[in-house]
Amino acid sequence: MAKTIITVAPNGAWPKKENNPNVPITPQEIVHDVYDCWQAGAAIAHLHMRDDQGFGTMSTDKFRETVALLRKQHPDCDIILNLTTSGDLNATDETRMAHLEEIRPEMGSYDCGSMNWLNTSLFINHPDFLERLGKNMQAWGIKPEIEAFDPGMIANAAYYLKKGVLKAPLHFQFCMGCANGIPGNMKSLLFMKDTMDSLCPGSTWSCFGVGHSAMEMTYGAVALGGHIRVGMEDNVMYAKGQLAESNRQLVERAARVIREYGNTVATPDEAREILGLAR
Amino acid sequence: MTWGPMYMYYRCEACGKRFKYAVDLIPVFGDRFGDCPACHKPGVFVKDGARTPDDADYEEVDE
Repeated sequence: MAKTIITVAPNGAWPKKENNPNVPITPQEIVHDVYDCWQAGAAIAHLHMRDDQGFGTMSTDKFRETVALLRKQHPDCDIILNLTTSGDLNATDETRMAHLEEIRPEMGSYDCGSMNWLNTSLFINHPDFLERLGKNMQAWGIKPEIEAFDPGMIANAAYYLKKGVLKAPLHFQFCMGCANGIPGNMKSLLFMKDTMDSLCPGSTWSCFGVGHSAMEMTYGAVALGGHIRVGMEDNVMYAKGQLAESNRQLVERAARVIREYGNTVATPDEAREILGLAR
Repeated sequence: MTWGPMYMYYRCEACGKRFKYAVDLIPVFGDRFGDCPACHKPGVFVKDGARTPDDADYEEVDE
């Protein structure tokens, strides 16, 4: 029986309490949600931090505080930590990596190209930054989660693979339906998967859809042999007109979809095996 | 890093309704994108963005 990994992205850098009062913002709130989602079946937690005003930050202090709280309060929680490297558009290359060097999580995000951000500013991932980040992640024993917002970012990953900046097997996160990225529909998801299979064979992948495409991408991922990401980073709504009650609610739905399809929900250790992580 | 869906926010001059469309539905709605879901007249563009603080005041129009 195939195993499907659930990643939870509980908060991201963007949604506020005004959008959904259940979005975790503080380290304690984030730790609560991570543990809750782990109990519900999440094997990976993709984490962002917020400053004291609730804005996205790459503060190493916040990452350190949150990870320490999780380990202190929930020593039984073996969830895979995947820390973002893109939590603040104004962060420097150094602050985007400093927390990885200190904390050494098992995974970290790797946004494999630049794009316009909400038609208002730039989401910059300069080639120099990507080369340094890829090499550092190898040196620090951190597996990149390659976030691809369009097929060109997959081609970019193939280039970095050939150059030795990235190391096979790669793991992709297809980010579907984001403004300025590829639309969130099955035709686009198939194209992303085909592109990955031809350019980076042997890679694993996961996906999510923002907004209305969330469920289509969830079902699509399971049917096509991928893995799933859910959470309030990408969707503060559970359904049209219905705010998500919690991140756990979104994880529980993903787990139901996986089981109804006939797959099983991967435990963190099973996810480590699938992704080639050494614990 | 994502930011959730990006919307274009509108109000209807005819009935006063406030509503929003996700930008990735432009190909789905075509020329109807931006129309009031109640009176089907073109809405007046107000702003765009991702989950603005008053987001819930705008009805989401979908397929």
